[in-house]
Amino acid sequence: MKKSFSYPILFMVIITAFFTLILAYLNYATADVIALNEETELRRTLLYVFDMDLPSDDPKEIERIFNQYIEETEEKGIYVAKEGDQVIGYAFPVGGSALWGTVQGYAAVSADYSRLLGIDFTHHSETPGLGGRISEDWFKEQFRGLDLTEAEGGEYIIFRPAPRGNVDSIAGATQTSNSVVNFLNEDIFEFISKRGGGE
Amino acid sequence: MAGDSPKKIFKMGLWDDNPVFKQIIGICSSLAVTNLMINSLIMGLGLIFVTALSSLTVSIIRQFTPKHIRMMVQVLIISVYVIIVDIFLKAYLPEMSKALGPYVGLIITNCIIMGRCEGYAQNNPPLPSFLDGIASGLGYTIVLLVIAFIRELFGFGTIFGYRVFGDWWTNWTIMVMPPAAFFILGVIVWWARSKESEEKKEGGAVN
Repeated sequence: MKKSFSYPILFMVIITAFFTLILAYLNYATADVIALNEETELRRTLLYVFDMDLPSDDPKEIERIFNQYIEETEEKGIYVAKEGDQVIGYAFPVGGSALWGTVQGYAAVSADYSRLLGIDFTHHSETPGLGGRISEDWFKEQFRGLDLTEAEGGEYIIFRPAPRGNVDSIAGATQTSNSVVNFLNEDIFEFISKRGGGE
Repeated sequence: MAGDSPKKIFKMGLWDDNPVFKQIIGICSSLAVTNLMINSLIMGLGLIFVTALSSLTVSIIRQFTPKHIRMMVQVLIISVYVIIVDIFLKAYLPEMSKALGPYVGLIITNCIIMGRCEGYAQNNPPLPSFLDGIASGLGYTIVLLVIAFIRELFGFGTIFGYRVFGDWWTNWTIMVMPPAAFFILGVIVWWARSKESEEKKEGGAVN
């Protein structure tokens, strides 16, 4: 093999440039698709927390329905759903640390802050099949329509079988369940008190 | 070595030199992604793609690569293909990308790829190297799918997400947790090794 000083350096530079070029092109070519996927995912999440039916999985259709009902408020990250001029509710980001990492998602409350409309998670790193079941429908559906007016001290969500419990935790994933409920309670409380509601 | 027949290459990759239960490499990911069959399948396909194409590329440029920087070159090539897989999943299979999460990026640390590049592609022509990558990746994927089959069946009562056991089935939590993969992998390695020693006994006189 060639025994010179400059050849390996030149070789490395050329090969790095070549492959970087390929990757840069691929990244450029798929940037729009990836951005659209992420946007669709967010829209899907928000439509879900407001409990609006999705007729199909088509990104265009999701976008149409999203634009029809939901818009972002002046406060970044907080969304409002309207039907005509009637406000249905507000969605806001929730999140906190769970067993393995942070969990992020959205929760929505009704316009008068009296009911929880729904929750959904956009990111978590819990064990699939255990803590990961927080993203399953049966778990999330339990939060629909929970009454927020009778809670004491910001404890909106309480696991059964505790007194006044309203939600089932996940068997075998106590830590994840508890963390999720803790940050949901905190974030909902914070949102409602900041908005001056909750009386 | 120059012209290994495809049959021999596949026999080596799938059995004689199977990366997981003979060479015991690529174990980390076989423990991590095997709780659902679909995750294992996508991971396996990703690995086959990366191993085959890295081996091919390394083999094509092997005569121009200065010997003492070949590892750097290999890592560069491997990472390029891993990033391609990552971009592809993000763009066209976002659900899968979400499920596999950081593991896609970690394909690069999978010893199988580097092992094949360094151990085979560096000294062999492109086509056999390419096939060798596919064979090794396939050997890995099959073992992953076997582990995932057992884990998903007992852990969830499903196969590829389809319910096999009815409501009476109580999920085995242990199967969903990483330790289960250790037990199953251990049993597979045990089975493969005892099978190997049987083969050796039978063919002992010839060799």
